[in-house]
Amino acid sequence: MKITYIESDGTPHTVDATIGWSIMENAVKNGVPGILAECGGSATCGTCRIYVEADWQGKMSPPHPDETTLLEYVEEERPDARLSCQVSMTESLNGLVVRMPERQYS
Amino acid sequence: MELELTTKRFEDVDYFTDRSLPDEPHSYFEFLRAQGPLTRLPLRGVVAVTGYNEGNAIFRNEERFSSYNAAYGPNPLPFTPEGEDITDQIESHRDGNMIFRMISTFDPPNHTRLRMLLRGLFSPKRLVENEKFMRRLADGLIDEFIANGTVEIVSQFALPFATLVIADLLGVPEEDHKLFRRIFSASGMRTGSLDGVPKQEDNPMPKIEGHFIGYIEDRRSNPRNDVLTDLANTRYPDGSLPPVKDVAALSAFLFAAGQEATVRVAAAMFHILAEDQALQARLREERSLIPNFAEETLRLESAVKSGFRLAKVRATIGDVEIEAGTPLMMCIAAMNRDPAKFEDPNAFKLDRKNARDHVAFGRGIHSCIGAPLARIELKVTVERMFDRIADIRIDDAKHGPVGNRTYRYAPSYIVRGLTELHLAFTPAS
Repeated sequence: MKITYIESDGTPHTVDATIGWSIMENAVKNGVPGILAECGGSATCGTCRIYVEADWQGKMSPPHPDETTLLEYVEEERPDARLSCQVSMTESLNGLVVRMPERQYS
Repeated sequence: MELELTTKRFEDVDYFTDRSLPDEPHSYFEFLRAQGPLTRLPLRGVVAVTGYNEGNAIFRNEERFSSYNAAYGPNPLPFTPEGEDITDQIESHRDGNMIFRMISTFDPPNHTRLRMLLRGLFSPKRLVENEKFMRRLADGLIDEFIANGTVEIVSQFALPFATLVIADLLGVPEEDHKLFRRIFSASGMRTGSLDGVPKQEDNPMPKIEGHFIGYIEDRRSNPRNDVLTDLANTRYPDGSLPPVKDVAALSAFLFAAGQEATVRVAAAMFHILAEDQALQARLREERSLIPNFAEETLRLESAVKSGFRLAKVRATIGDVEIEAGTPLMMCIAAMNRDPAKFEDPNAFKLDRKNARDHVAFGRGIHSCIGAPLARIELKVTVERMFDRIADIRIDDAKHGPVGNRTYRYAPSYIVRGLTELHLAFTPAS
């Protein structure tokens, strides 16, 4: 079970993922830089943003309205953005590739 | 010679009772850092963590490190740790003292359920509404003292401001705000007191809980279109309605959490601004720098200078062996001055690029859920004071002349902050 996180400069980090943990938890507990997750997974800070290609988006549960509102609040403009704390790792996400923004806050 | 004397003194000092440390805790933290990112204190069996990376790893590892003692510090546990894993012992010793029943002390899965209840309160929509209230509130408080030309900013502004911002966030009706303001006084802020665990009867929280039990019961039977009704009807992820008492306890906790630290950081900001007139002038000119000014203040002054974790199982971090049951003192103030993370860490730099990487709000599942709120509070506070007041200075009559100032800090091993900050000023024309 793998997830690859790509930094904005192209540096990839592949981790052995744990099913049931969020994409955020899989990053921070494996020491991946670039996911701050200041609020610890409450969808209140917007510092665990990732960019996800459409194919993978289709395999994820759609965002809750709280997540969408928060992404707007932190002025995230990309339509492929998600909060990684709100997406759980599942079997069907094995091999997931996500990109991270240059900075998690302005 | 002087350095030797200081080192000698620090070797014997009891950080948890020594009254000389709160006024200048950083030399002591640097003494600890010199022994390594983790070091065992000679007393009380506490392991102190000063390293930024090491501390972050512990904050992020709630499976191994419990928050049971987060606010209880180094005081003797109500049980004797036995065996390889003390999780069950921890969970069977939460009744009794309120200090083990606050959300900040819970571990998963109870913590996860409870934290979900808070999500709606800190939604962007609520924050936008709350910010409007903050501006009105700041102006009302400034009106109370602006004609005097002097103000004691902790009790006359920061404390009522932080208290009533939380009251508004939770939807307390404005006619009750006076009541909430009266419950809290500056002398009542006693987190991490050097005199040991404060007596339960001195704790204002049960009073607050009492009010909220009334509000929640009322809104459950007479729902209205207000925040309290939303709070009263918030459900756990499994769809069940929490007991009234639990919602009331959580609400009271938010006052505790949203108050003392915010008050101390606000005072620290005004202390810096009043002592550094050039910095104040620059910030007045470039208001867009206020948020990073607040971050750098949070980093350098870390209003919560230490927090605690309890090892549930044996762990090895660096070359320090930790047995199950060992209390860890997370020295946030020292982590925020770790030279491996922050260049020239003891200097205040308005333009510091990574100022916001500080851990003043903690990290991991217990990181401050109100951090976005606190950031807005600090920004609004500085902005409204700049708008209404032309110059902010230290009141020499109270703190002494430049070069010979006297400042007193909270006698606490957890909280870092001025007990009083007297300012003199000229109202803006």
